[in-house]
This record gives sequence, structure tokens and C-alpha cells, in this order.
Amino acid sequence: MNGIPGMIARRLIQLVPVMIVATFVVFSLVYLMPGDPAVTIAGDYATEERVEEIRRIYGFDRPMLVQYFAWLGNVAIGDLGRSLFSNESVLTLILARLPHTILLVVYALIVGALIGVPLGILAATRQGTTLDKVITSVASLGVAIPNFWLGIILVTMFSLNYRWFPATGATSFFEDPVKALYFATLPAIALSTGVVAVLARQVRSALLEVLGSQYIRTLRAKGLSSGAILWKHGLRNVAATMLTIAGLQVNRLFSSAVIVEAVFAIPGVGNLISYSALNKDFPVVQGVALVLVLVVILTNLLVDVLNSIFDPRVAATT
Amino acid sequence: MTTHFYGKLPNLTRRSLMAGTAALGGSLMVPAMARAQDAQPRSGGTLRVVVPYNPASLDPIAGRNNPDFNTLLMMYDALIAFDPETLELQPMLATEWNFPDPTTLVVKLREGVEFHDGEPFNAEAVVFHIDRCRTYDKSNVKSDLTVVDKCEATGPYEVTFKLKHPDATLPATLADRAGCIVSPASVKATADGNVDRAPVGTGPFKFVEWQDNTLIKVERNSNYWGDAPYLDAIDVRIINEFNTAVRTVTAGEADLVLNMSAQQMAVARRDPNVVAEATPSMIYYSAFLNYGEGSPLADVRVRQAMNWALDRQVLNQVLWGGLGGGNCSMFPSGFWANDPETENYYTQDIDRAKSLLKEAGFADGIEIETHTWADQAAVQRQEVIAAQLAEAGIRLKVTPSQPAQAMQFFLNEKRGHMLLSPTGGNPDPATAYDRHFAATAYRNAAKSELPGYRELADASLSTFHFKERQQVLYKMQRFVLENALHLPQFTSAGIIVRTPKVHGFNFSLLQRPRFHKVWLEA
Repeated sequence: MNGIPGMIARRLIQLVPVMIVATFVVFSLVYLMPGDPAVTIAGDYATEERVEEIRRIYGFDRPMLVQYFAWLGNVAIGDLGRSLFSNESVLTLILARLPHTILLVVYALIVGALIGVPLGILAATRQGTTLDKVITSVASLGVAIPNFWLGIILVTMFSLNYRWFPATGATSFFEDPVKALYFATLPAIALSTGVVAVLARQVRSALLEVLGSQYIRTLRAKGLSSGAILWKHGLRNVAATMLTIAGLQVNRLFSSAVIVEAVFAIPGVGNLISYSALNKDFPVVQGVALVLVLVVILTNLLVDVLNSIFDPRVAATT
Repeated sequence: MTTHFYGKLPNLTRRSLMAGTAALGGSLMVPAMARAQDAQPRSGGTLRVVVPYNPASLDPIAGRNNPDFNTLLMMYDALIAFDPETLELQPMLATEWNFPDPTTLVVKLREGVEFHDGEPFNAEAVVFHIDRCRTYDKSNVKSDLTVVDKCEATGPYEVTFKLKHPDATLPATLADRAGCIVSPASVKATADGNVDRAPVGTGPFKFVEWQDNTLIKVERNSNYWGDAPYLDAIDVRIINEFNTAVRTVTAGEADLVLNMSAQQMAVARRDPNVVAEATPSMIYYSAFLNYGEGSPLADVRVRQAMNWALDRQVLNQVLWGGLGGGNCSMFPSGFWANDPETENYYTQDIDRAKSLLKEAGFADGIEIETHTWADQAAVQRQEVIAAQLAEAGIRLKVTPSQPAQAMQFFLNEKRGHMLLSPTGGNPDPATAYDRHFAATAYRNAAKSELPGYRELADASLSTFHFKERQQVLYKMQRFVLENALHLPQFTSAGIIVRTPKVHGFNFSLLQRPRFHKVWLEA
């Protein structure tokens, strides 16, 4: 199978081994991390006998590989297990939380693109001017500003002082999309600064390279207007760069969401995985890792499909 | 043979602080305080509470940690209640109890009580529950009831416990997790007896939903046997990050936030529209010591030197903003089992500490391998303690890690000499000693008891008369301090932040609030 359908088929076939390897690595890391979940489960003032009993009941006394393959076997039949600590179904936990994180990430990506791409275009088309320097400096600042710090500043100003936005919480996008966007606005802005900065810088440099190329000079010589050159030829050629960068930013945004979700008390998967990893809640960590790997792979696939639409050579080589 | 008279803590309100009062020099808050005192309780409204910890389970016997009680007592009543300020035991589902002989406890039960599922509460339900406590594989209270040989219904509303040996702490145990009665029908309705997420008790509020680590909702139990609760419902949001949790109150998104630290108290004080309060607590900060063979802490002089090196007033001031208690007792000042004569047994004396170290053969100082938690507050605590100990030549070699990991390193793998950790929160003081210093106690890394300990421990279990028991516990306090069995630093405080419209809340010495008397101003 060739073309885009072939590329999608190849990627989906690769999905299974990648997910097995990824979840095994995550499982090993959590397993090797010091700490005994039995001690946490036993709680304050547990006796040594109780801790031993819990190890036996939950199967922590089995070898690591046995535990991993037991988990994998259950996943194969669609059972992600239950949290060791709250006994909640892992699938329920993820399904309840993932939409909040996806909304946050997509919102931040859109905000970042809406600000970062025009800034990059402006900087490239006004290379060397004060505006270019300002945009380049702002972009550097955007990379340097910690999301959590900006989040706190935004909350202090727009939630506590002006009361324009809620300080904490989230609403389901499926129940009330407008309210969900309202709740997600400040966290998305806090999360988007890195995207703005990276997109502005990358678009600027890619566009400068394109605008300085031979064929653009030819187009200028033929009398095409600057606007037509930029929109028809320049941006179309940097689209692949923008998409690739945006795809990479999605992965980064999922990791940054851990902190932003904590600042804004958003019940997302970032919050879930950090809490679960600290407690060595294997089933939850594994379940979230599985889903995040899936999200990353599908995001990369989407980027490649879009790139293939702009440039059919991509489908043939990936 | 029941215990009686527990003196009120004299300093219960001394450390209670009105945040706004501090912020505004007091004057502007006085009318508000006066209004609050004049206001009459009213029914209705949904209280929005924020807590930083997800409950381990809503099944009282499968839960693990003290913050679980932020929600448990909404849905469950215990057989025996405790006075929130003195821990004096009071009737609840049990109307009376007594020891006709030292190994028999007879409990008379309240009639006319129903579980939330409509099933009757009676002796049969209590016996089923106690059996479940002792046999259910997820029960974390088995060790609390090892003393019970048999629990049987001796009447429709009377239960008799036959004990293996005298145990004066059993009534207090029945005020704890083991005494929170779960509906037998709700347990039988499940395939595996697991009611972690389907709590059915007799409490003033009924369970509605639990979104893990996000939200717990309860609603008024209109069929409650006692005084009807004022609130229509309670929404408990779980927000793990402390500063974010406090922001919910300052932003008007919550009415009450629990389990805060001194740092959040300071933050809340800046906002004149919220109230921050600190009350005495049975939770205290200490270090468990491994004084087993081969450890440098096997020498009592080294342990004593460490205790003499600490300035606890400074620790309390620096680390808890002076909100806790800067003494070396395991209990807050004024608590009935806290001997005022020995609560300041150790005050900082660097020369004495150095001299003891020299006698022990460590004239050039000593290095103590220490485990501590890795969070920011714990690291700060460790740094201040390390600085004080260093003055006497005691150097800490610190390994920070997550709480469960630190416990595993120190208690399971026997690595290191000392673990810095908060602890406490036991309803009965004898239990508090037993869970730290008995040879079988998980937190006793040495797994041994010093000569003299067992006699006092047994006496604290077999002495039923209040005054006599108090004297035994005073002796136990002196024994623990003289032998420097741990390194107490300061007692903490229960810290809450709330809006002024929340009334009737009492965090209690154990930080186990009941909400049926809480009401919201219109």
C-alpha cells in the first residue's frame, strides 16, 4: 500500500510494539523507584505483618516480569485494572480526566499558534528592524518564563484582583463548551508561552530561509507582489516546519500540563500521573502512560498526514 | 470502670487567630466577630470544602491515613464519640459502656437508628462489623482489635467484647476507625465485600459521589437519629497543592479549606476577607530513632544529647510560625495525659549535649544518618534541625525521599539511624506510645523495648480509673523522655482557612471534624 493510506497502516502496525516497549520502560522505572506501595497502603501505624499481608494480597511479592505480564494480559482483554489506593477503575479515571488535559493542550496550542505564527511572520518580513528585535527578545522570554509562575501571576491579576476568570477548576467541554473554555483560558495562556516563543522563532528562521532562496528572487524579478510571494509561496513552504514544530509542542504541552494543572486545580491526567507516580500506583501510572503514548503517536501520525498533503514525498518516505 | 473528667485545654483558643484581625489591626474585624457570635444557626446551603488529600478509601476500616477523617465522619457515626477539645469519650451509637471485669466490655447501643440504606442498626450489625474488622483482607484495623477474643450480641441492642487481656484503650479504639459502623447489607451486596467507593453508614450525611482525587459530594441524611444537620449538602474538592487550595477561598470558590500549614496561614492573613484559624493538634513532629544494637543511638547519652541540642521554641516559631507547641511532649499542653512537669524536660543546653557526647566517646562529634521527606517544608524542617544539632557537634547525613520510601528505607530495610516525620493523632495516649515504642510497633526500627517500658505499657492498659491512669501515663511520658526514645520537636496545629460565613466548625484535637453542626450564614 502506497501513499497516505499506506503510511497510516505502517504507523498503526508500529503502534503495538512501541506501546509495549514504552509501558515496559515506564513499569520498570516505577518498579525500580525506591519505595514500597504496600507501606503506603498499610498507612499510619501499620504492623510489619500487615505490610507483608498487603504485599501478598496485591501481588507485590511476585517478580517484576510476572507483574508486568499480568498487567499486559489484562490490558489485552481491555482491563486496565483499578487504582491500588482508591480502588477506582483506571479506565474511568482516565476517561474522566483526559478530556480536561486535551482541551487545555489544544487550547494552548491554538493560542500559541495564533500569537506565535504572526509574530514569526512579522519578524521575518521586518528582519533587522526594532520590531524584529523586540519579537525575538519576547520569544526568548517566552521560553524562559516558567509556566507555573505565569499561572500564579495570571490568577492573582485576573482571578483574585479583577475576578474576570475562575482561579481554579474545570468544566466538561461536552456539557458546557463555553464554560469549559472560560475555565481553561488562564491555564491555556500560562501553558502557551513556550509555544508562542518556539513557533515565532522557528517560523521566522524558516521563512527567512525561504524568502532568501533563489526561486523567491526569481518571483520578485517577475514582478510578483511581496504579499503574494509571502502567502502563496513563502508560507506554503514553511507549513511543514510549522506543523512539525506544533506536533512536537503537543508532546511538550502534555508534560508541562502537570504543573499548570496543579496551579489551577484542573483534574487532568497530568495531575493524575504525578500523584500516582509518587504513590507508586502501578495500574494508574501504566494506564496513563499507555494513553499518553497513544496520544503522542497519533499526534505524530496526524502531523505526517498533514505534511503529506502539503508534500506527497513525505508519505513515501515515512 | 469508665474513664471520666478530661480537663479542657487551657490554650485552645489562645492560638486561634483571626487572620483578618491581624491584617487590619483588629479593629475592623470586631464587628464581624460580634455578628458571628450573635448570628443564629440556620439550615440550608451547600458547604464547599477543600482538602489536600484524596481519601484512601471511604470504607473506614480499609482507609489508612488521618486526613481520611475529613470526610469519613460526614457519613459514619462511631460507636463512641470524643469531645473535640479534650478527647473525652462520649456516647454516640453506643449510649453507655462499662467494664464489669477487666477483660469484658459491655456496650449498650442506641435504638431507633437506621443506616442510609434503611437497614436497622443493632447488635447484629455491630457484631458483623467487628468480625469484618478482624477478618476482611483489606482491613487495616486488625491490629487494633487483636485484644478482642470474642464479640457477641448479648441482646438486641447490647454487645459484649471478651478480651484476651485487660485493655482500657478499647473504648477509644471504638471511637476510631474500627468503631465506625458500616451497613452489613451494603457489604453483603458486593461480590468481594469491598465498599471503598460505596460508603453506607448512619452519619448525618449520605454519600452521593466520589470523583477520585477531584470531588466528593454528600447530602443531608434527613432520617438522622440525632439533631438534624444544618447543611443541605457538602461538596468536598480535593486539591493537592496547598497554595492553590487556599486560593479557592480567597477567590470565593470555596468556603473552607482544611489541613493547611503555617505558610498558608501567613498567606491567608493578608486577605481581610478570610479567616485563618489554628487550633491545638495531636499531630506532632518528631524523629523515630533506631536505638538497636550497632547503632550509635543505642547509647542513651547520644539520644539525650540530641534532645538537649534542640531549641524547640525556636523550631515552633521558625517552622510553624509559633502556632504549635514548642515543648518535647507528644501531646499538646493541657491535654489530660500530658504531664506539665515533664513537657519541658529538654530545653536547649548545648554544653550538656556536648558533655554527654564526650562521655559516650564522641568528643569530636558524631554523624547521624537521617531519612526525611523530600517536600519543601520537610527539607526546611530538616535544615533548621540540622543547624541546631550541629551546634553540639551532631552532623546529619540526610537522605530525602517520598514518605513511603523514607519509611521503607528506615523501617523495613533498617537503613540509617533516624527518620524525621510528623506523627500522632491517636485517640488514646496509651495507643500513641504503643504504636511507637512497643517492640512490635512498625515505627520502632529497633524492634526492642527498653527495660521498664513493658511494665508501664501494661499498666496503661490495665488501669481503668481516670486519675490512676493519668499518673501511669505521666510516668510513661517521663520514661520516654528520660530514655530519649525519640526526638520530639514541636506539636503542630490544625490549620484551616474559611470565609466568615462558615460557623460551627471544629477541627478537633485529632483533626477529625464532624460537620453536622456546621452552618452557613445567609
